[in-house]
Amino acid sequence: MAKRCPGITVRFMTVGRIIRIILVLPFLVCATVPQQQRDADKDTTAILQANYVYNIAKLVEWKEGEMRNGNFIIGVIGGNNLYQELIKQYSTRTIGKQPIEVRKLPNSPDIERCHILFVSRDNLALLSDIYKRLANKPTMVVTEYAGALDDGAVINFVKVDNLLKYELSMANAHKHGLVVGSTLKNLAQRVEE
Amino acid sequence: MNRVARITITLFLLLSGVFVHAQVDSLAEALQKYQSGDLPAARSLVDDVVNSPRHGTNPEAWLLRGFVYKDIYKDAGVGAEADVLRDEAIGSLFTCVSLDNVGTYTENAKQAYEFLARTYFNDAARALNDLEAENAANLFDKYRSAVLRMDPKAPVLAREIEFKNALGTVYTKQFIKDRNQLDRFQKAVDTYMDVLALDPENYGANYNLATLYFNRGVFNIRAITADDEIPTILEVQVAAKEFFQAALPYMLKAHDLNPKRRETLMGLEGIYYSLQEQADADRFRRLFEELPPDGFED
Repeated sequence: MAKRCPGITVRFMTVGRIIRIILVLPFLVCATVPQQQRDADKDTTAILQANYVYNIAKLVEWKEGEMRNGNFIIGVIGGNNLYQELIKQYSTRTIGKQPIEVRKLPNSPDIERCHILFVSRDNLALLSDIYKRLANKPTMVVTEYAGALDDGAVINFVKVDNLLKYELSMANAHKHGLVVGSTLKNLAQRVEE
Repeated sequence: MNRVARITITLFLLLSGVFVHAQVDSLAEALQKYQSGDLPAARSLVDDVVNSPRHGTNPEAWLLRGFVYKDIYKDAGVGAEADVLRDEAIGSLFTCVSLDNVGTYTENAKQAYEFLARTYFNDAARALNDLEAENAANLFDKYRSAVLRMDPKAPVLAREIEFKNALGTVYTKQFIKDRNQLDRFQKAVDTYMDVLALDPENYGANYNLATLYFNRGVFNIRAITADDEIPTILEVQVAAKEFFQAALPYMLKAHDLNPKRRETLMGLEGIYYSLQEQADADRFRRLFEELPPDGFED
């Protein structure tokens, strides 16, 4: 009596191949983590900082008349991803009637006229010269290192409970001819009068 | 000799001893129809046969019914009707084995049964490839049930883990395609959790689950627009932080399981960075950068 059942030869091999292909995908599709240079689209800190900078600009008044005309200039030293984010999301916006212009500045203390200057933590060595050269000039220096307000920064990004916030120096703002709105002050993590 | 012919001959040899003295028997008639390739007639007859008092507990009758339905299923293509035919075939073959106390037909029935069970799995895999997650899950459940029904100790765990990991990625892809479908996100989470319940040491499930949570947090932050004001930024960060924190233990586990995998080092660097924990982010970035280039590993 025949015991075998001819024609029954379907195997799992093809299936395994299909599933292996699918299984590998998330590593390629979903891996939004950085390579050597962090992808700007996934740099969460840069995304947050850019939005903060834009909102801060809206909540501060530059007293000097010259600063109320022409483009509203945001200079960036270091912070490639922040620069790209500002360009991408905010360069078509205005502060009041002033169109935003984002400039990537060279790693040098020779600063052109700008309303806001962001200096990344990779460029701390430049900061002492920058503070000196911008003393009494209507430029808001924004930084991201501990003790920055004591050195002369107006706004400093800080990390608190896994969140990115900012601290503010009213004294430094005053020195640069800036009028800080109460909203910006109230929302700060810390205010140095 | 074609496949149907071979099966026919097999069955003929198998059953001829019984029917040589019962030429007018309805089972013999059903077999004749099957042999002649008239599957609709064979189906009609064999349905009556297994419902008759004479053959209701006859394993030979159930074997024939299993083969008739299997062949009709194979010609039916894809669809609900084919699914029913397959279910009937596999049910008949199981009944044959259950009734075959002597074991005369068991091997033959089991081979056909295993063939049909594999088709459930193959169809489940194809459904995954077509991103038909629910269909794939249903088919896999049928596969699993069929295999365990025949052999409750059958080793299906490895295949179940493999399948569910793939199913989780399909839900993930569906969610990525439309971020408003939050049920897709939750199904992906649940599916990976299922895998981890079966195998807590599963690298793929740990890594994929961490990546799923992490990407959700990044997406929340990425969705911030110029119209959002500072209180909104803070709210978004709080929500995103929960996803980053949810991702962390699974990525750490994946790293423990495979400390030299680049993607886990990159993953941990990204998670810590997004949690604003720069020192830990820098630590994992250094570990990543210290790895030898691809192809130069120990």
